[in-house]
Amino acid sequence: MTKSKFDVVVIGGGSTGTAVARDCAMRGLQTLLLERDDIASATVGTCAGMISSGLKYRDEPDMMKICSKEVVYWNHIARHIIAKNPILAPLLDLSDAASDSSYMESYSEHVEERDVPAMMFLTPDASIEIEPMLHPEIIASVYYEEYFIDPFRLCLLQALDARNHGAEIRTYCEVIDFEINDKQEIEGVIFYNRVSGATERVETKLVVNAAGPWAHKVAKSAKDYLPIRLNKGAHVIFDRRIVNIGITVKAMDGRWIYLFPHENTTLLGTTALDTWENPDTLVASFDEIEYLLQSMETVLPSIREARIIRTMTGVRPLVPDWKVPERNVTRGYRIIDHSENDGKKGLISFLGGKLVTCRHMAEAVTDLVCEKLGKDIACSTHEKPLPGNEDDVDIIALSKEYDISLHALERMRARRGTEMVKVLELTKEHPEWKTTICTCEPIIEAEIRLSIREEFPQTLNDLRRRLRLGTGPCQGTFCTYKAASILSDELGLAGDDFLVDILDFRAERWKGIRQSMRGEQLAQEELAQGMYACVGNLDQSDVDYDVKPWEEGF
Amino acid sequence: MDLEADLVVIGGGMAGLIAGTIAAEEGLDTILLRKGQSATAYSSGAIDVIGYLPEASEPISSPEEGLFALSRLYPLHPYSVIGYDDRIESGKIVETIVERTKEAITWLKAHLDGTDAPLMGDFKSNMHPITILGTTKPTCLIQKTMDHGDVQTREDSVLLFIGITGYADFNPSTAAKTYLEDRIADTSPPRIVGHRTVQVMPFGKPYNLSSVELARHLDHEGTIEDLAEQLKGHIEQLGATHLAFPPILGIQNALKNKVKLEELTGTTVFELLGFPPSIPGQRLQRALETIFTKAGGKMLLGHEATSYQKVNDIVKSITATAPRREIKIDANAFVLATGKYIGGGIAGDEKGLRETVFDLGPVTGDYHSAMEIVPSRSTSRLSISPTGQPIQSCGLSVDPRFRPVNDDGIEWAKNLFAAGAVIAGYNYSVEKSGLGVAATSGYSAAKNAIEFIKEVT
Amino acid sequence: MDENEAFEYVKSTLKKEKITPYQSDELEIVKSIGACINCGLCINHCPVVAAVGLDRFSGPRSIAVELSRSPPEFWATADKVYLCTGCGTCREVCPKNVNIPEIVNVVRANIFEHRPDLVPKGLMIVKEIIEEHNLAFEPWEDKEEKEESRDMRLERLGLPSIPDIVKENAEVLFYPGCQAEERAQEVREAAKAILDYFDVDYTLLDEFSCCSLPSQLMGDAKTARKLAHQLKGKVKKLGVKKIVTTCAGCTSTLADLSVRDEWGAPAYHLLEYLVEEIGFEKLADALKKTAKPNDIHVSVHDPCHLIRHTSRQVMEHALNILRLMPGVRVSESVAHDNCCGGGGMVSFHASEVANSVVQENLIALEKTGAERLVTPCPLCTAQLESNLFKSGSSIEVDDLTVFIAQRLPKKG
Repeated sequence: MTKSKFDVVVIGGGSTGTAVARDCAMRGLQTLLLERDDIASATVGTCAGMISSGLKYRDEPDMMKICSKEVVYWNHIARHIIAKNPILAPLLDLSDAASDSSYMESYSEHVEERDVPAMMFLTPDASIEIEPMLHPEIIASVYYEEYFIDPFRLCLLQALDARNHGAEIRTYCEVIDFEINDKQEIEGVIFYNRVSGATERVETKLVVNAAGPWAHKVAKSAKDYLPIRLNKGAHVIFDRRIVNIGITVKAMDGRWIYLFPHENTTLLGTTALDTWENPDTLVASFDEIEYLLQSMETVLPSIREARIIRTMTGVRPLVPDWKVPERNVTRGYRIIDHSENDGKKGLISFLGGKLVTCRHMAEAVTDLVCEKLGKDIACSTHEKPLPGNEDDVDIIALSKEYDISLHALERMRARRGTEMVKVLELTKEHPEWKTTICTCEPIIEAEIRLSIREEFPQTLNDLRRRLRLGTGPCQGTFCTYKAASILSDELGLAGDDFLVDILDFRAERWKGIRQSMRGEQLAQEELAQGMYACVGNLDQSDVDYDVKPWEEGF
Repeated sequence: MDLEADLVVIGGGMAGLIAGTIAAEEGLDTILLRKGQSATAYSSGAIDVIGYLPEASEPISSPEEGLFALSRLYPLHPYSVIGYDDRIESGKIVETIVERTKEAITWLKAHLDGTDAPLMGDFKSNMHPITILGTTKPTCLIQKTMDHGDVQTREDSVLLFIGITGYADFNPSTAAKTYLEDRIADTSPPRIVGHRTVQVMPFGKPYNLSSVELARHLDHEGTIEDLAEQLKGHIEQLGATHLAFPPILGIQNALKNKVKLEELTGTTVFELLGFPPSIPGQRLQRALETIFTKAGGKMLLGHEATSYQKVNDIVKSITATAPRREIKIDANAFVLATGKYIGGGIAGDEKGLRETVFDLGPVTGDYHSAMEIVPSRSTSRLSISPTGQPIQSCGLSVDPRFRPVNDDGIEWAKNLFAAGAVIAGYNYSVEKSGLGVAATSGYSAAKNAIEFIKEVT
Repeated sequence: MDENEAFEYVKSTLKKEKITPYQSDELEIVKSIGACINCGLCINHCPVVAAVGLDRFSGPRSIAVELSRSPPEFWATADKVYLCTGCGTCREVCPKNVNIPEIVNVVRANIFEHRPDLVPKGLMIVKEIIEEHNLAFEPWEDKEEKEESRDMRLERLGLPSIPDIVKENAEVLFYPGCQAEERAQEVREAAKAILDYFDVDYTLLDEFSCCSLPSQLMGDAKTARKLAHQLKGKVKKLGVKKIVTTCAGCTSTLADLSVRDEWGAPAYHLLEYLVEEIGFEKLADALKKTAKPNDIHVSVHDPCHLIRHTSRQVMEHALNILRLMPGVRVSESVAHDNCCGGGGMVSFHASEVANSVVQENLIALEKTGAERLVTPCPLCTAQLESNLFKSGSSIEVDDLTVFIAQRLPKKG
């Protein structure tokens, strides 16, 4: 790292933080992004990736309008990591239909620009033909279409694009303090480098606090105050696409929940519980899993027979509205300029927001940043594509050229678009790197090597976010040790660190597996124990393993 | 068309095949049903007896001593139950337990001699073979192909980990680092550990190689010579005395290949313990099947026991289902060796566990009913630790004759015996006791079944 | 948009997204695949992996944990999924019995519908033949030539010529399958001779049509359903109580169809019929009367569709029948139950793969010292025969039905 002076320091490597870094960098500002963990490691890394029309928030017409517009932009700048999501909302009785008639209209207001149809009704027969698992007694269903984006790749691409435009991206750097002068102006940021163990400082003119569920803690480090409402949401994840299209239904408490095919899995979510716990310790509870399953069972009676591989849990950093249920809290965002309320000058914080609006939020805050810095440069983040979006990719031709399986390439394309050729080029010199490492996803060795070299992962879990490593049915049982070897080779780690990487990734996967253990996941775990404890003897290993936040206190 | 037999064994892993072989050797008409292969076939191929006492962190140096300790501390452990038969004098309990285990292990070793999976080692001391991660583990018997000779005792030994280009299941450089750090900490040889990669291309490509294609390839004539040729330079360069390979040295000719490679290179060659899909596991599975059929047992592959008929306290028959046919088999006694979650002997959902053939109620590792447990609550927050996952200790509670018992401790049927991982009360992954318990309980279940059959016929 | 237009719109979107909704009878298969724990045991036993390596055919486990997880990507499995011979070895060794052979058909059906350009050309040729003739093989153009070929075969094998019978309300429908109907006619004739010898009240179809297995295997679900429907009509019209076939593939397919489509007549292989309905006693009596038994040393090949798709017991029956034959000595080959490579339509587009699969069988067979190989399936017979011939082996191959018929005494 060379620079020590910046125009702006962005705190948080989630969807918003990376979008802000990208926008600032593209407008020519000296930008540093500090993330205490990895890119997309918290809230955005536990969402379903839906870039929604804002349908659930029809009481906020401005929000719906912004959402719609943003969907159009995403399809322009990141189409390679986007997929269409057709959805059915099956109705079991007429009251279901009557209670929500307004949403059909609101949804339909902006459909044309998003290139989707207006909401429409389907007969029970048609619905069951599309999804035979549906309850045979449904009276109709409503059909509509939304879009998905790969939330991990989105954040990473924003970060990489920011870097391409001159920003510095520093992961595993946790902000612990600020340098504040007599005029209550922030002059510098002090952070702890979790990899090197060193404390570092940089000078900056402005700080954008996009720390999501830690935003109030960042404000506190600046001896300032930021009220926030944290809300826990859990998903249950199935091993494959178990439904033909997305299903939404009203849960027992009247909230909408969904079952969405997502990449090559299916996500069932979400719950909403206000929380004051440390977000790092949160896991899905038995009640949350049952709430989701029982609610979805009303329209898909056999949902429990499908293979649940894990749960995932995240925290929504909501605007602090009180006396309203989570679903009525605005999904609009707020930009808090702390200087306006006699707070610290130079500190700007985010509250609220959604994945779909992250670029919009970044544009708004960067406008403010530019104004404060006295610069007048227009935003172009909605026009310039993210890396890989430039062109279509001919998978069949590439498969012939590089002798790599079609499916491995198709999965790679969904992550990298045209940039995948960089991975393939590596195999010219190293044909052995065509070998599949993660058999579920699938991921070849060359992509793991490229990612380690260019996408700054430190752990296997970071590789998971970049490549979907270990996210399939076996949850890393078979790729953990292979990928750990490659990481160890590339980073020049010691033998003990190699074993620690294995244990760390097993711990991270187990965090989500454990809560929903049942069915074949019992066999999967018997196998994982058989490999890593019985054969590998790692249960008896004396390496320096750090107990994880969610493992403490038993 | 119905079948009849003296003994029906349900399950074709270590426990079932040993039980079946013992019965067939006794002259009993024995049918073994196998729904699929299982944990035995993907084991590392080494036979663990006891590596660690539950919750302990020091490895046991001798299985015999381990058994003495275990039988005193854990009377309900599957190794121990046999000692608590009311026919055994109280002073002979521990001795009986240790002797029976020794007998079973000795029997196994003797029977596998001359098969594709000959074993070495003995009941008196554990060995510490090296794994593909570069770690070591205590185990009782290893396949002869895994014999690393004096690498850990000879002061000037130089070990080379040999990888194969495009074979991702084994990375020699990380294994070498890990193992060397371990040896440095232990201040014992080898003091020089290196790694090299060779090319073995069964189909002309250096990528996406599987263990099975490498092993099959090395079974062919001439391939070992090629391998030796590639190794020579590497061996000279480092003065290597020992070569560690991933476990792929062959299926039928693995031991021959080891010996030949040793002759050609002047080093000690051995296989590491590996992960599934495992070739040594496959060799072990094949060897066990061979001794069973040689003894006169009949294997019914692709058949799953799906229902049973029971009159009073006697199981009369079971119905076995193949993909498109069913068959009823009458027998005088039955051995249930269906494994745990992998084998499918025990299954569970969020409401609790059940045994899958006879719908028996499993118990937890501390012998409470597991029929209504929430699996996630029978787990540890730590993924991999000496505590293990308590859910892995669930299974059937058995009496000293290995018959599954009801809540009241009375056997569920007089002629149903259980063996292997379907039994509760041990966590094989952390104890390092899997195939040992399978062998011993299979051995004992068969002895008890034979006794029962002789009484009734 | 009214509901019908809406449905059409949705279907067109699904088509664009390459989603064919799983149908209710496919849900069980999808559920079965979900049980895979990725252990890879199947890879160690898959005959195609053994024959061509994991890079060319990524193996059953990749089908379960990777290739079959996301219907919109099924098209991208076209370089792998057509190489599965459907032998079912993976399902049989799998601790969870994951139903790979069936999910392969589901995936192939998706490709057939959405990316017909990626279906191997060799399969499209078969598709056209089936569409035109309701048969998996191009039928004889000249009926007389077909009869001549039949008669030559009967004469060479010393089998009696028995006129075809077609009648309603017979006890048994004898269903020869496409191979025996059009090519290996001796199998069809031999079965008739056996049924006739034991005075079985049987009929043939008045016009033969395919059981639908080839269409299922190439993913042509529409034609498969059409053929199944057609056959049901014929079976119902004849009013038979049982269906007997001499083809392994037909055995498992007809057994399924008879249950799924409620034919009211179960389907068996002839071997099962002989053992279970005629009985060993009668069989033994008949076979003992064989005029001059020549000593012969045989080995047996187990067809996948009998042992792994139906039941291993069927081949127990075969061995028990062989044991009844005077002068017949049986040596088991270590590869007796290995796939011959002839399944899954692989030989129609990648014959080099099919032919490398069978090599292990050939090596093991030579080691038995047997002079003849018998197998109760005309398709396995053809695959083994041509490869033995190519390898210069002196071992001859007989369909087991022919082998049995040859050893029955003259009737009367």
